[in-house]
Amino acid sequence: MSKVKEVYKEIENVVGPEYVTDKDFMKAAYSRNVDPAFPDRWADVIVRPETTEEVSEIVKIANKYKITIVPRGGGADLVGGSVSEGGILMDLTRMNHIIEINEKDFYCVVECGVTWGELISTLHPMGLTTGVLGPGSGYSATIGGGLSNSTAGAGSTKYGLVPDICLGVEVVLPNPQGTIIKTGSAANRYAKPFCRYGVAPDFTGLFMGDVGTMGIKTKAFLRLFPLQPYRKSLNFLLNKNDWDKVVELTHEIQTKLGDGLNSLSILPFTVVMMMYGMSKNKPKKRPKIKGPAFNITLEAPDPRILDIYIEMVNEIMLKDDACRTFQFSEFDMGVVEAKENQVILKNTFHYFNKYIGIMPGMISLTTCHKVPISFIPKGEPYAAMFDKKFMHEFPLKAVSLFATVIYVLSNGHCVFVGGLTAYNRDDQREKAMNAWHKKLRAQVRYGGAHYWLGESISQSIVEAGAYTPEFAQFFKDMKKAIDPNYILSPKKFHMHSYDDDISTHIIEDEPYR
Amino acid sequence: MVESEEKWKEKYQHLRMLDELILQCISCGDCRETTDYTNDPQKWGVCVAREHTSGFEPFFGRGKMQIIRSLVQGKLELSKDMSDVIFQCPTCNACSEACAYEIPTVAYYEALRAELVDAGYGLEAHVPMNQAMVELLNPYGRDNKEKSSWLEKLDFKVKDASKEKADILYFVGCTAALTPDIQTVAVNTAKVLNKLGVDFAVFGDREVCCGSVAMRTGDRKAFNTVAEKNYEMFKKMEVKKIITSCAGCYRTLKVDYADILEDLNIEVLHTVEFLLELLKEKNIQLKNLGINTTYHDPCHTGRHAGLYEEPRELLSKIANITEMKTIKEAAMCCGAGGGLKKGFPELSLEIAKSRVQEAEETGAENLVSICPFCYRNLSDAIKALDSNIKMVDLLELIYQALD
Repeated sequence: MSKVKEVYKEIENVVGPEYVTDKDFMKAAYSRNVDPAFPDRWADVIVRPETTEEVSEIVKIANKYKITIVPRGGGADLVGGSVSEGGILMDLTRMNHIIEINEKDFYCVVECGVTWGELISTLHPMGLTTGVLGPGSGYSATIGGGLSNSTAGAGSTKYGLVPDICLGVEVVLPNPQGTIIKTGSAANRYAKPFCRYGVAPDFTGLFMGDVGTMGIKTKAFLRLFPLQPYRKSLNFLLNKNDWDKVVELTHEIQTKLGDGLNSLSILPFTVVMMMYGMSKNKPKKRPKIKGPAFNITLEAPDPRILDIYIEMVNEIMLKDDACRTFQFSEFDMGVVEAKENQVILKNTFHYFNKYIGIMPGMISLTTCHKVPISFIPKGEPYAAMFDKKFMHEFPLKAVSLFATVIYVLSNGHCVFVGGLTAYNRDDQREKAMNAWHKKLRAQVRYGGAHYWLGESISQSIVEAGAYTPEFAQFFKDMKKAIDPNYILSPKKFHMHSYDDDISTHIIEDEPYR
Repeated sequence: MVESEEKWKEKYQHLRMLDELILQCISCGDCRETTDYTNDPQKWGVCVAREHTSGFEPFFGRGKMQIIRSLVQGKLELSKDMSDVIFQCPTCNACSEACAYEIPTVAYYEALRAELVDAGYGLEAHVPMNQAMVELLNPYGRDNKEKSSWLEKLDFKVKDASKEKADILYFVGCTAALTPDIQTVAVNTAKVLNKLGVDFAVFGDREVCCGSVAMRTGDRKAFNTVAEKNYEMFKKMEVKKIITSCAGCYRTLKVDYADILEDLNIEVLHTVEFLLELLKEKNIQLKNLGINTTYHDPCHTGRHAGLYEEPRELLSKIANITEMKTIKEAAMCCGAGGGLKKGFPELSLEIAKSRVQEAEETGAENLVSICPFCYRNLSDAIKALDSNIKMVDLLELIYQALD
């Protein structure tokens, strides 16, 4: 019997025949996510465990046979993070129960296969929220995926990234014992999972943004906040295409609004024009667009406070005729505008997916990365310089956007949500992948910090030579301590084995820095 | 667009008709389990597969679309194993409703099923059904003469569409005509039409199945055979308006026959659409029966055709409605369609039981719908659950309210 067959039989004994498969059509259905830049990759075995104990048993089997495991949440990944070439692909969406919502102590316990859409839809009617509403793909993205990718989402301007609300996790370590641990206050066997620090070093952080390389998260303990009942979204169009003004206004809004500011995002001028161009429901009157658009969401516990926030924002944005107000229905009459005090998850989750594809049959080569706010004016010219220099290396008819949106985070930095597109064709795939990695390396070298690292971006960080030899060694040692056989997500960070020298992947002689 | 375009188009005759959107699925997974309390109507999940299957990707829209892509890119071959999963779907269209790109997913699944059938991987359970449909003109394998037995329950004569002209053809459908417990749908429809003085006719024992079951289960040859027969009959009758009380027939005649009937210029209406307009036109008031009801949206009138408000408008005149947790675009399917009841009866019943339980949560005594096939599956579930809720067709209530 082949090794894979033996692995299959042993896993079957753990989860039962219904929840493990090695059929070709099943493998094809899992061969990619929102990441068609990669060639299709078929796992040897796909399994859907139901409990932490089952995950642990599968980890033991993987160690016994030295076969790799890639954990997979909602599979809404853009960067090759949850697809497995051979080995075991572990679909964690069967672990989808909300275990506890502690209204009194403001925390919840969930299995990591719960989607953000489900959690938010459960919490909000109870007057509770996670603050950050999870990644843009939150209808399908899971809690575990959001933590593994340390994503931003609606509410991140106020509440931070997804890991910022994490109080701890239950995780299966990829060691031969399949060890199950809990972090945060839950590491104290006598304590509830109500806080993150004070029991041990912050080992929770080890599993945040790890893109499934350090452990398989099975449960998460998340911080809750009272849902602010009064909210309003305001839109402004800058009257000229001036990034310095964008920084000035952003800084002023963040400084003055404080807790009233839930979300602040900026759509570059080109994107606003594209939105109008792509709209199937164009208004008869062509809108006047001269600069970037601001979308500002305010929230407050009291309508009087909200009114003050609104007044403050209008004062800042409309001063000296810097901006004019607008509604997104000016560009696309199909957009549903949120009414006062209303949350529309569709605007957060659905439209993200709608615009990821840009055009039918295109590949999205995402380069989303974080930069300090002061860097915003440099973003577009840097990207333009890169695109001009390397356009000849781009795949056919690539569209490059330095940012489809700039999303402001909680402490002086922001995300450039952008990337390249390419035709979804096998003959363009290698070219697309090379151009993508090159662009990612350039962003790493100008000091950008990415967040959903997956396979492509984690590799690009290594290729750009971002790590000092000391850091690289530390990283490898940490990995070895937890995953001695390097069975978990081995392609990420080019970390295939302890003996591999990841510095051999550094691409030195790139003219663009 | 895809590799070896000529080759795959030659290989996959049905999928090639849809090629332009095959790569549009970005695999985001919204079609799996979108839950959104802010949506109107609220969405509490999308696909019935989530609760009722092993939950591997091919049970969901995204997985099926990736299978189709892999096939046309020459990376995968059709197989019996694939067939067993692809047919475990009621083609309820909830995945399309959730799709950011509005991909008509069911059209893809049906094309894939047609490929599987042509390759010899169709479900065995569907073979006699489609064979009977062609040979006996109904999928139940019954003598088609029995299709006129419901007419004997009427105390008035209905015009024979084969011989007499009428303004309207009432297309009864096989389930209502041949299932004793559900013949009430046909009987009540005829009584209401008669009471309102509508000039209508039926084909009776000459009525040919619309072909819905064949279309849903991938037997395109069988579908085309009955569709051609129907075309000839409609043409001969010179009918301009067809009404039907069956959601499956409605979807098939309205959507799948759209091209076929194009030159005949026939309007297809569900009975409730027709009656709502007629009652308004004649200013006829319906009596409120004072009963408590909840309404189940059949997928074929709802997500496949957008008929949500008309049945509610009628029902609200007759009874009190308490809506279920999932309604309209976001309604849970009853599990009967897409050949599921025939191919996987246990799965179909489990889905129906979930829907009945959702109906029970409203506290209503009557579960109302406008589809004989939903009626049948939900009735089976009511029986299996030993539930006190009563399955009722809306036309039965309308008839009572006209009394």
